[in-house]
Amino acid sequence: MATVHPDHLHKLLIGEIFNSRRAFVGIFIFVAMTLLLVGLAWPKGFVASTTILVDEKNIIQPLMQGAAVATDVMDRSRLAKETIFSRKVMTQLLMDTGRLKEGSSPDKQDEHFKDLRKQTSVSSVTKNIIKIEYRDDDPERAYLTTKRYAELFIDETLGAKAAESQAAFNFIEKQVQEYHEKLVQSEEQLKEFRSANADALPGSDTDISSRLSAQQTRIEQYTQELHDAEIKRRSLEKQLSGEAEVATALSREGQYRTRIAELQSQMETLRLSYHDTYPDIVRIRHQIADLNEAIAADRQQRDAAKASGRVLIDDSVINNPMYQQLKRDLSQTQVSIDTLNARIAEAKRQMNSALERGKRVHGGEATLAELTRDYQVNRDIYQDLLKRRENARVSMNLDKERQGLTFRIQEPATVPHEPSGLLFRHFILAALLLGGLVPVGIMYAKLQFDPRIRIGSMIAERSKLPLLAVVPHLWAPSEVNMVRQEIQWLGILVMGTLVVMALISILHLARVI
Amino acid sequence: MSKIEKALGRARSEKGLVVVGSRTRADGSNQADSQSRDLTVPEGKAAGTQSRADAAAAIAQMNEPSLRDRSELTLQRIIYPDMAENSTVQAFREIRTRILQKTHGQNCVIMVTSVAGDSGSTFVATNLGVAFAFDAGKTALLVDCNLRNPGLQKLFPNQSPLGITDYLEKADLDVADIIHPIGIERLRVIPAGDRREIPSEYFTSLRMKQLLSNIRQRYAERFILVDAPPMSETADTQILAELCDYVLLVVPYGKVTNSQVDTCIKSLDSKKVLGVVFNNEPSAPSLDWKEMWKASLVLLRDSFLELIRTIRNAAKKK
Repeated sequence: MATVHPDHLHKLLIGEIFNSRRAFVGIFIFVAMTLLLVGLAWPKGFVASTTILVDEKNIIQPLMQGAAVATDVMDRSRLAKETIFSRKVMTQLLMDTGRLKEGSSPDKQDEHFKDLRKQTSVSSVTKNIIKIEYRDDDPERAYLTTKRYAELFIDETLGAKAAESQAAFNFIEKQVQEYHEKLVQSEEQLKEFRSANADALPGSDTDISSRLSAQQTRIEQYTQELHDAEIKRRSLEKQLSGEAEVATALSREGQYRTRIAELQSQMETLRLSYHDTYPDIVRIRHQIADLNEAIAADRQQRDAAKASGRVLIDDSVINNPMYQQLKRDLSQTQVSIDTLNARIAEAKRQMNSALERGKRVHGGEATLAELTRDYQVNRDIYQDLLKRRENARVSMNLDKERQGLTFRIQEPATVPHEPSGLLFRHFILAALLLGGLVPVGIMYAKLQFDPRIRIGSMIAERSKLPLLAVVPHLWAPSEVNMVRQEIQWLGILVMGTLVVMALISILHLARVI
Repeated sequence: MSKIEKALGRARSEKGLVVVGSRTRADGSNQADSQSRDLTVPEGKAAGTQSRADAAAAIAQMNEPSLRDRSELTLQRIIYPDMAENSTVQAFREIRTRILQKTHGQNCVIMVTSVAGDSGSTFVATNLGVAFAFDAGKTALLVDCNLRNPGLQKLFPNQSPLGITDYLEKADLDVADIIHPIGIERLRVIPAGDRREIPSEYFTSLRMKQLLSNIRQRYAERFILVDAPPMSETADTQILAELCDYVLLVVPYGKVTNSQVDTCIKSLDSKKVLGVVFNNEPSAPSLDWKEMWKASLVLLRDSFLELIRTIRNAAKKK
């Protein structure tokens, strides 16, 4: 692609147009005449339009907030198109405007539908305003069709909405009945199970397990106490075996000898100071002798008793208190051991009984939980459905009363007096403009995209060779004459085209064509 | 007339051309007028001035047959001095001046070739030769080396003059036998002769080299312009380029691409390339719009009358 510098463009364009003058005039005539013919054939269109306001915030909605669900319309124009171009609406419209008779062939109907779709335009002006435009050759028909479009659209949409609400209510109602039956069935099952399993009360399992735990603790406690008591008993028995049943007090002979020793000590002390004849010494000697005699007598008596086998009651022999005490403790410990054994046995029996009961309860509890769960789920859903049914009922009533999402014709259709869209004068103007611009554009594109060299200085810039000169075309007189004649003819053709356009325009204005 | 020519004309005091060849034919025709428009050499070169004076005298004695009139030249798309204000003439004067600057006024053999066929290389060669011949102190010789499609043949309508192929094939022919005047002052032509399909055999011959050397030495002020075939069509052009002193490349308007031009330039010896001539740039002829408008109306009227006449005749026949 050769990039043409803007400085050269003007000159090149003129040169190229001159070189391709026949093509230029040919394209001009072709474009101009084509647009002229299109303009003549272009149907004169009368456009009637109406706007519909989608009112979604009416007075009812705030009042019924939460209780009724307002039907939302996400894409207004799409919804409108779907409704308007439905077979039902189009058939009704064609019937109403008298374009379709009863019993028309399907082909004819399809043709009418196609035309209607082509002539109708539905758009969203704002979020809540739908604009329906209809173009027709006949202004009256354009008005009637547009008016009927709006009415049919509103009726159809609201009817569909009411039907939708009704269907929703019916569905919820059906669900409510189904869940009611399920709930009743669940209740029945639960009741039967409870009557069959008295133990299977809620919390039985916990109660049993706490009881078991208490019994277990008690057994452990008694066992420990028993163990302590046995240890105590063994200790007491041990102590008892090493303890005498009676205890002997200090003997009389011992008392005598102790006395003799004391007297001997006194006498020895006195002999240091006195003679053996000193009275005190004599007296002490007599006392010692008396005591010796007493000892001898006592020995004789004891030996005699031993020999005869009699029990000699000795006032020095007494019962051993420690022994008595130990004996008493041992007895008490034995009583405790017996008691504890009895308690442990009782506790074990109770625990076994609780275990048996626990086993029974555990089996029924799973069934109970399942039944209870079913019941609760069914109850919750049923309650929720009841609430929803009431909401649906309100929504249905709203739609029936046409109080929910409403459609209002904001701007009613009117009979168009002036034709709209592309008019004949637009085509004439376009024929003149495009007739000139199209060939120029083609020449420009050719200059832009044709890689062939058209600027001499570019060769010098590119190849670094001097450009000696740019030689313009040398016109021979015969060539000049030919060009002159050619230009004359081309001029006549252009003028002729313009005259034809002018004549046709006049005839068109005069409504001859 | 270019500024350089005017300046040279003012400085003109004496004329001189060195006569190298010996085959100059005396002619009794009056050439005083053309001599008065001769190119001169700068003052201070006395010896050169004298020799140039001799050459000018020799050129002045060149045998000129009846000259072509302007209408004939115009028809043949050949320029003449009176077209001074014509931009095409100015362009050829410009080329001539640039060549003279480059060659320092020395005569030389310049091959004029083009990038592609139908580029106007014959037109450029012819008119460049004419531009050289504008100067009464210079002469130009056109050699048609386009043996397959000889472009200069149109200068000899209804004739088959002896040409280069005849000279190369017939040893008894003299150079003077193939140099023909064409009715333009100081311009001679060696035509191609009979058409030949394998020109390279001729261009590589020794006799061809001798021919070019001979014609260059004939006049010191003679510029030889070799009209060569387009470079894209044959390799003969490169052989010819070897024989010539300089090459002039003709690039036509809107017919060739940059890559084609690059290829041609690469295949040539860059030292020999004088430059590029961009030929045939579009330009509208001077049209008398007022006259044209009147003529259009007349044409329209005549056409209308003709149409009515035809309809009447048709109606009568029916």
